[in-house]
Amino acid sequence: MKSSRPGLYPTLWRRLYSVWFRHMRVYTKHLFSNGFPPFLEPLIFLVGIGLGLGRFIETMDGLQYIVFLGTALPVTAAMWTSAFECSFGTFIRLEFEKVYDGMLAAPLTAENLIVGEIIWAGTKGLFFSLSVTVILLLFKIVHLPHALLGPAVGFLTGLMFGCLSLYITSFVKTINHFNFYMTGLLSPMFFFSGVVFPTSELPRVVRPFAEVVPLTHSVQLVRAVVLSNYRLRHLGDLAYIVVFIAVVGYLAVRRLTKRLVY
Amino acid sequence: MAAARGGNTTHTMNSSVIKVENISKTFGAVRAVKNLTFGVEEATCFGLLGPNGAGKTTMMKMIYARSPRDRDCNGTMDIFGFDPRTQELDIKNLAGVVPQEDSLDEELNVIGNLMIYARFYNIPRAEAIKRIESLLSFMELSERRHALIRELSGGMKRRLVIARALLNNPRLLILDEPTTGLDPQVRHVIWDKLRLLKRQGTTILLTTHYMDEAFAMCDKLIIMDKGEAIMQGAPAELLRQNMEAYVLEVDSAALASGVNGDLPAGVRIDRSHETVRLFADEVEALRTVADALAQDYHTIRPANLEDVFLKATGRLLNEVQ
Repeated sequence: MKSSRPGLYPTLWRRLYSVWFRHMRVYTKHLFSNGFPPFLEPLIFLVGIGLGLGRFIETMDGLQYIVFLGTALPVTAAMWTSAFECSFGTFIRLEFEKVYDGMLAAPLTAENLIVGEIIWAGTKGLFFSLSVTVILLLFKIVHLPHALLGPAVGFLTGLMFGCLSLYITSFVKTINHFNFYMTGLLSPMFFFSGVVFPTSELPRVVRPFAEVVPLTHSVQLVRAVVLSNYRLRHLGDLAYIVVFIAVVGYLAVRRLTKRLVY
Repeated sequence: MAAARGGNTTHTMNSSVIKVENISKTFGAVRAVKNLTFGVEEATCFGLLGPNGAGKTTMMKMIYARSPRDRDCNGTMDIFGFDPRTQELDIKNLAGVVPQEDSLDEELNVIGNLMIYARFYNIPRAEAIKRIESLLSFMELSERRHALIRELSGGMKRRLVIARALLNNPRLLILDEPTTGLDPQVRHVIWDKLRLLKRQGTTILLTTHYMDEAFAMCDKLIIMDKGEAIMQGAPAELLRQNMEAYVLEVDSAALASGVNGDLPAGVRIDRSHETVRLFADEVEALRTVADALAQDYHTIRPANLEDVFLKATGRLLNEVQ
């Protein structure tokens, strides 16, 4: 029984991959119960709100209302799934299941583990936005081939909210504190980031808030790519997302490492 | 006692694969580990024995780089030639760890749990499958290979975690309270497996608060209390150097009516607990005392490590701190 690389620990990419692999394995263990709702949810949303409300509102910001709403859904799905994964999910693995106690005995550093967690959040963002995109294609709200760029923005959105949620998690002492994050931050973001109506319709005092929060930039970018309607300001959205991931990701890794290794 | 304190380590330090010198660990205002020094030779079992809160787990975690030692302590650590402060991954790659809590993935079955860890060690799939089969058979879990974690008994879970720790053929096996909460039969199975591993050349480091486990498993051990090493050495030596050979345990109420006068020469008495203990090298001396007692609520037994701990600290190993 000889190791494949005796005496040498796995490379950085191998280590990150192994963390990702662990989450993937556990998630896909219940493929039906985990994999079905991501398709069902946008369906309900489009039928319930898009079609119903769409009969009263014809256009929004120059788009048919169902198109306006539908094109934002890939990133809101990515936001919710990655936020849950890296708040409740991470906290349960950390405090209740003690999964990290076992993992940190294997050749992984706490930093590897947290970065792997962020990449996994991105992957779930990708998967959830892809399933929304499939529904949008069925409804002929978006069209191939550029609709397939939507999940790429979903991936970035997953990374963003993975980082943000891990940063929040690093402060949380009891699991109930996440309620403040969900209802206090994510729910308002859903309504005031240009998903259901344009941010330009917001009162002047609230508008700067909308520009600061991450979801606004995801929404603007995803609409641009799936409708293939680019403006120069979308480069700004992309830059915002990249900087957000780098800065908040760095803070999350630093703070959570202290919680894992002390 | 002064003779035993640290006296046994210095001459073995050179051949040791683990060398811990003057290591401390502070959490806020609490000094969890205070100036610990010890060495562990290859293919031996070294134990940290002490009550809960003695600093055993903290010491273990410092060895496999799960917890950093104090920055300002001028101690050193050498784990198979690596320093946990700078070579965390080298140490984790050569060590297998059985944490205090099982930390298994409830969603996955027995093989699934091991496959995930094979990935952490970057063991190729085909090789991993082969190794997992042989470890499951070694740990007597082959029949349960497709069982879900919740279907396993406590002892099976523990054996699975040990199998998990053995996946990468570790040179060092670290076990944090390996048999706490398990029934006696399972404990003996686990001890047998650990002895077998030791014979095959694995160095074993374990923490325990059971004196019988420490005595059964450890070639050398440290008895710890409140972060400090009270004494260290081979269990039999520690007994011989620090303790009388026999103990008479008596219900204290019975004793109060039985032994009030002078004790025979060479008999020492400890009244600090509900059960009163009398110690002597000659079993006859204790029999004389026992015969004078009105009731039968007493036993004479050979002294053990718990008696050593009691003598050194005035407390028992499993007493609430």
